[in-house]
Amino acid sequence: MGDLFGNLALGFGVALSLENVGIAFVGCLVGTLVGVLPGVGPIATITMLLPVTFGMEPVSALIMLAGIYYGAQYGGSTSAILVNIPGEVTAVVTTLDGHQMAKQGRAGVALGIAAIGSFFAGTVATLIIAALATPLTSIALLFGPAEYFSLMVAGLVFAVVLARGSIPKAMAMLLLGLLLSTVGTDLETGADRMTFGWAPIADGVDFAVLAMGIFGFAEVMRNLDVTEKRDVVKAAIGRLLPSREDLKASAGPIVRGSLIGAGLGILPGNGAVLGPFASYTLEKKLAKDSRRFGRGAIEGVAGPESANNAGAQTSFIPLLTLGIPPNAVMALMVGAMTIHGIVPGPLVMTRNPQLFWGLIASMWIGNLMLLVINLPLVGVWVRFLRVPYRLMVPAILLFSCIGIYSVNNSATDVILTAAFGLAGYALTKLGFEPAPLLLGYVLGRLMEENLRRALAIARGDLATFVQRPVSAGLLVLAALVLAVAVAPSIRRRREEVFQE
Amino acid sequence: MGGSIPLLYRHFSHADPPNAPGAATPGQRIIRRMERGPERHRAVRAPQDFWAGVSLVALAAFSFWAGRALDSGTLRSMGPGMMPRAVALLMAGIGVGLVVASFLRAGDALERWSFRGVIFIMLGVVAFALTIRSPGLVVAGPLVCIVAGVSSPEARVKELAVFGVVMTALCVGLFRYALHLPIPILVIPGVVVL
Repeated sequence: MGDLFGNLALGFGVALSLENVGIAFVGCLVGTLVGVLPGVGPIATITMLLPVTFGMEPVSALIMLAGIYYGAQYGGSTSAILVNIPGEVTAVVTTLDGHQMAKQGRAGVALGIAAIGSFFAGTVATLIIAALATPLTSIALLFGPAEYFSLMVAGLVFAVVLARGSIPKAMAMLLLGLLLSTVGTDLETGADRMTFGWAPIADGVDFAVLAMGIFGFAEVMRNLDVTEKRDVVKAAIGRLLPSREDLKASAGPIVRGSLIGAGLGILPGNGAVLGPFASYTLEKKLAKDSRRFGRGAIEGVAGPESANNAGAQTSFIPLLTLGIPPNAVMALMVGAMTIHGIVPGPLVMTRNPQLFWGLIASMWIGNLMLLVINLPLVGVWVRFLRVPYRLMVPAILLFSCIGIYSVNNSATDVILTAAFGLAGYALTKLGFEPAPLLLGYVLGRLMEENLRRALAIARGDLATFVQRPVSAGLLVLAALVLAVAVAPSIRRRREEVFQE
Repeated sequence: MGGSIPLLYRHFSHADPPNAPGAATPGQRIIRRMERGPERHRAVRAPQDFWAGVSLVALAAFSFWAGRALDSGTLRSMGPGMMPRAVALLMAGIGVGLVVASFLRAGDALERWSFRGVIFIMLGVVAFALTIRSPGLVVAGPLVCIVAGVSSPEARVKELAVFGVVMTALCVGLFRYALHLPIPILVIPGVVVL
C-alpha cells in the first residue's frame, strides 16, 4: 500500500510539471472538441495528432493522446444530452434520459451530473489502475514466449467476442491485420516479404498510414453516406449545479456505475462500451419506479456516464501491464509508444517508471481539468455542435493529409493512405469492422516473434503450447469463450445484450 | 454469421451513424428493418457475406502469390514464409465458410456505395500528394479542401475556397511555426523556397 502511494507520488511529480499539465490540458480540450464535433472519432484524431507528438518526450506524447481519449468521452456526452446524438458510442445510453432532461430545461443539471459522475469514476479508475498495475505486471514477467503467445491469442479472441458484429468476420479482420504486419523485412531472417521490392513498404506498412487510412479517410467516406440532421435543443441550458436532491439520487448510481464500468473496462474488446449499458439496466432494475427511465431520470445519466468514463480508463490496464491493447484506441497507443522506442508490456513499469506512473497520474489530473473545461464552457461547445459536416470534411482531410505527410515527409505515404482508405471503405461495405484489423496489425510482429521463440525452445513441438500449464489454461479459456459465443443459444443472448 | 437480426449496436457504430435519414430513433429503425421481412429466395441468400467471403479468399490467394518465393522453414526454425502462409490459410478458410453459409442462411444485402464521396475524397488527397512538394502547402491546402469538400452534397464551392484559404493559413501557423514540422510552404524551384 505504501508502495502504491510512493508510486503515485512519483507519477504526480512527472505529471504536474508545467509542460505536462499544459499538454494534458491541450489533449483534454482537443478530445472534448472531437467528442462534440460530428463525424470525428477519437481514433482518427489520435492518428492525426500522432505526428505532432513525435517531437515531444514520450511521457508528454502519451499524456496528450490519453487526454484526447477520455476527453472525447466527456464531449460525447455533451452532444448526447444536447443534440440526442451520441458523440461517441459510449454515450449512446446517455441520450435516453439525458436528452429528455434537456427537453425539460434541465440540460445544465444533466451535464453537471455527467461531469461530476465522470470525475468520481475517473478517480476510482485511477486508483484501480495504480493498485492492479504492480501485481499484474509481476505475473506477466513470469511468462515465457509460449505463455505470451497464448496470452495474445486469448486477448485477441476476447476482443473479437466482446466486440460488435459478426464473429467470423471480426476474426477475418484480425487475420488480415496479422497478414499486413508480416509485410516488409522479416526481422529474424532479413527476408523481404511481399513488398515487390517497393521501397515505401520495405520496413513494413507504416502504422500511421494504415490507421489513418482505415479509420480517418474511410470514416469520412462512410459519414458521407448519410445526410445528417442535428437539432440542438432549444430550451435553455439552465443551472449547471445539481440540487441536493439530485445529488442524493445520483450518489448510488455513480458509485455502482464506476465499479461496473471499471470492471468491464479491463476486459479486452469493447469493455468501455458495455459498461454504460450494464449500468443503465442495473439502475432501472433497482429503481422504485422504473417508468421514470426514458423520461428524464437523473439516475439514467449519472450511472452510465460514470461507467463509460471508468471503463475508458481501466482499458489502459491490459495495455500497460501485459502489453496487449484491448481496443483500437489502445492499439494506437501501442503505435505511439513504439514510435518513441518503448515496447509496451510488463517491462515498461520497471524500465520507465516515470512514464508509467506519470501517465496514470495524468489521468486524474485530466479528469479534474475536464470538470473545469466542460461546465463553464458549455456555451462554447454548443456553438461547435452547429458546425455543419460539409465544412468538417475539408478540415479533417487537410489535417489528415498534413499529418500523414509529416510522418516521413513523404508524398507517397499520402497516396498509400488514400488507398487504405478506399480499402477500409470497401471492407465496411462488406460488413467488416476495421478495429480488429488494427489490433491484429499491432500485435502481429510480437506474436510471430514469440511463436518462433517458443517453437525453437520446444524443438518444433507444437504441443508445448498445451503442455505448459499457464499457456494451456489461456488457450482453453480462449477456446471456451469462443465456443460459448458461437453456440446458438448464447449467440442469441449476445445479440440481445448488444441490443439492450 | 452476419446475423439476420440486426444488432442495435451496429446502428451506433460509425459505419452507420445514428443520425440517419428521417431522424428515426434506433428503436424505430430496428422495427423498420424487421418489417422488411425475409429476403426473397435466391441461390445466394446473404449477398454481403458471399462477397465478403470471396474477397477474403482473393486476398489470401494474393498473399500466397506475393510470398511464393518465401521459405516456410520448419516448425523448429520458422522461415519468413510460415506465418504469412498460415495466416492466409486461416483467412481463406473463413472466406470459404462465409461463402458456403451465404447459400444456406439469409443475411444482409450488399450496401450501396456513395461514389460521389469516394471519388472526390480520393481526388482531393491525390491532388494534395502531387502538389505538397512543389508548389507546397499554399496550393495543396486549398486544393484538398475544395476538391474533397465537393464530396458533400451540400457543398458550396465559394465557401469552400474561402474556408480552404483560412484553414491553410491556420495550418501554416500551427504546423510550421508552432510545432516546427518541416512542411514545404511555398516551393518554386529556382525562385523561392519557404
